[in-house]
Amino acid sequence: MTTGVVEAQELTKRYGEVLGLNRFTSSITGGITGLVGPNGAGKSTLFRLLAGQLKADAGTLTLLGHPAWGEGEFRRHVGYCPEHSALYEGLTGEAFVTTLLRVDGFSRAEAEERALRAIETVGLTEARGRRLRTYSKGMRQRVKIAQSIAHDPELILLDEPLNGVDPVGRSTLTELLETLQKAGRHIVVSSHVLYEVERLTDQIIMISNGRALAQGDLHRIRALIDAHPHVIDLETGNPRTVARFLGEWDHVTAIEFPGPGRLRVRCRAPEEFYRALPPLVVRERLDIRSLTSADDNLDAVFRYLSEGGR
Amino acid sequence: MTISAPRYGSTSSERLGRTRRVLAIVRRELRRRAGWGTVAAVALAFVSVAAVVIVDAEFASLTRTLRLTTLEAPFESPIWPLLLLLVATSAGAGALAEDAGNRSIVLYLSRPIRLLDYVGAKAIACGTWILIAAAGPPLTAVLILTLLGVVPTSIAVSAALGYLAVGLLATIFLTGVALSLSSLTSRPLYAGVGIFGVVLSLFIGAAAVAAITGNLYVPYASPVTLLRSVGIGVFGGPSTPETDPATSAAVLAIAGAVLGAFAAWRASRVEVVSE
Repeated sequence: MTTGVVEAQELTKRYGEVLGLNRFTSSITGGITGLVGPNGAGKSTLFRLLAGQLKADAGTLTLLGHPAWGEGEFRRHVGYCPEHSALYEGLTGEAFVTTLLRVDGFSRAEAEERALRAIETVGLTEARGRRLRTYSKGMRQRVKIAQSIAHDPELILLDEPLNGVDPVGRSTLTELLETLQKAGRHIVVSSHVLYEVERLTDQIIMISNGRALAQGDLHRIRALIDAHPHVIDLETGNPRTVARFLGEWDHVTAIEFPGPGRLRVRCRAPEEFYRALPPLVVRERLDIRSLTSADDNLDAVFRYLSEGGR
Repeated sequence: MTISAPRYGSTSSERLGRTRRVLAIVRRELRRRAGWGTVAAVALAFVSVAAVVIVDAEFASLTRTLRLTTLEAPFESPIWPLLLLLVATSAGAGALAEDAGNRSIVLYLSRPIRLLDYVGAKAIACGTWILIAAAGPPLTAVLILTLLGVVPTSIAVSAALGYLAVGLLATIFLTGVALSLSSLTSRPLYAGVGIFGVVLSLFIGAAAVAAITGNLYVPYASPVTLLRSVGIGVFGGPSTPETDPATSAAVLAIAGAVLGAFAAWRASRVEVVSE
C-alpha cells in the first residue's frame, strides 16, 4: 500500500547501455523535498518519469496514488516545470499560460484569470504581453513556473527551477515555494547547486549514478556520515599548542596546518569534538578565534556520500 | 520585477471535458499554423482553382455545353494537388516537429490529455487548413456560379458534394503524410522538405517510370495522380483517369490512415525524441 505523495520502488530506466536510474527507491511524504545530485545523476530522468514522459523499464512509480506512466485525469493535480525551455516562442507569456490552462480543462474566462494571477505571482505582469522569444532566461524560468502553479496543483515538480534566475529572483522564488508549501502544496524540487536546496528544505533525497544515496532530514543524513572524517577549521593564535591538545583525542584522525594561524582538524565523532572543545579551551586558556565546519554545507555531505559513503 | 505570494481560488473549479480540452489545442494550433506560407498557399489555391472553375463554367454556359463533367476542371492538371501539397507542407511541417524541437510537447503531455487526443488535435488543425484549400476554392466558385445563375442548382449540389468528397480524401492523405514526416524530426524545415519532396518525387518518379516501362500499376505510386483520378472519376470525365478512381480512393484513404497511425506511434515514443 502506498502512502507517500510520491513512491518509487526499484525504479530503473535505461537509455540503451546507459542507466538513467538504477533501482531507485524512495518515498516522498509531502512538503518541500529537494532532489540533489550532480549533473547526470538521474534527477531529470526521475522528473520525466514523474511527469509521465518516460516509461520505466522496471520498478513502480506512483504520484498521488496513481501510476506515473500513462494518461490520467490525476495529472490536473500535478504541476510540472521542466528543466529545459519548453516554450512556444511566438506566444506571449500570458497566452502561453492560458493555453496550457485550457488544456487542463479550465473555461476561457477562468484560464485567463488564473494565468494573470500566476504571472503576477512570478513577477511577470509587466512582461505578460511580450512574446516569449523576447524573454530572458530568468523570465523563461518564471513563466515555466507560472504554468506549473497556475492550475493550483497538489503536487508541483520543479526541475532545476532556479537555473538561470538572478540572485534576487532566486531569493524571491524561494519565498514563493515556501508560501506554496504553507498553502499545503507538495513540492519536489531538484538542483545540482546544493546550497539552493539547502535554503529551501531540510528534507532531501541525494541521488548519484541513478541511485538514492540517502534520504531524509539533512541532519539525519549528516548523522549517516559520522563514520567518515568530519572537517573542522579553526583560527587560532597558537596552532601548534592547540594541535598538541587535540592530537591526544582518539576521535581526531588528522591535523593539518593550511596557513598561518589556521588549523584543520579531521575527526570521526564531531559531536564529541564539539562537546569536548569548550572545556579544553577554558581549561588551557587556548586562543581560538573562530571555528567553522565545511561539513555543515550540503555539498560536503554529498561528497562524503557519493565518494566514500557507499 | 517582484514576486508576490500566490492567491488561489477554489481548488474545486469545474473542469471542462475531454472534447473541449482537445478543441482548445485545435484552436491554438489553427492560429499557430496560420503563418504567411499557409495563408499564401491557401490564397493561391483560392484564386487559381476558383478562376479555372468559373472560366470553364462560363465558357460552357455560353456554348450551352455545361454539365457536371464541366466542373471537373481543377482535376485536369496537377496544379490543384500540388497547391494542396504546398498547404500541407506549410501547415503540417511543424505540427509535431516544432513541439518536439522546443520540447513544448513535454508540457502538453504532462497535462491531463491523452496522446491520441494531442495527435488528433494536431491532425484536425492541419487537416482544417488542407480542407479549406482543397474544398474551399471549388465550392466558392460553384456558389458564385449558382448565384449568378450560370450553374443549375441540381448540378451545383452534385458538384459541391463531389468537391467535398475529393477534398476530404485529399485532406486525409496529406494530413497523414504531413504528420508522419513531422513526427520524424524536431526541425520543421526538415519535415517541410520531406513532405514536399516525397510527394513531388513520387509524382515525377512514377510518371517517368510509367512512361519508360509502360507499367499500368506504377501511377498508383503517385499521390498526385491518384487524387486527380478520384476527382475525374467523381465528376465522370471527360478526361480519362490514369488509375482506377475507386482503387485510387482506397489507396489514398488507407495510406492516410496508416501514416496517421504512424505519427501517433512516433509521438508515443516522445521519450526517445526528448532525450
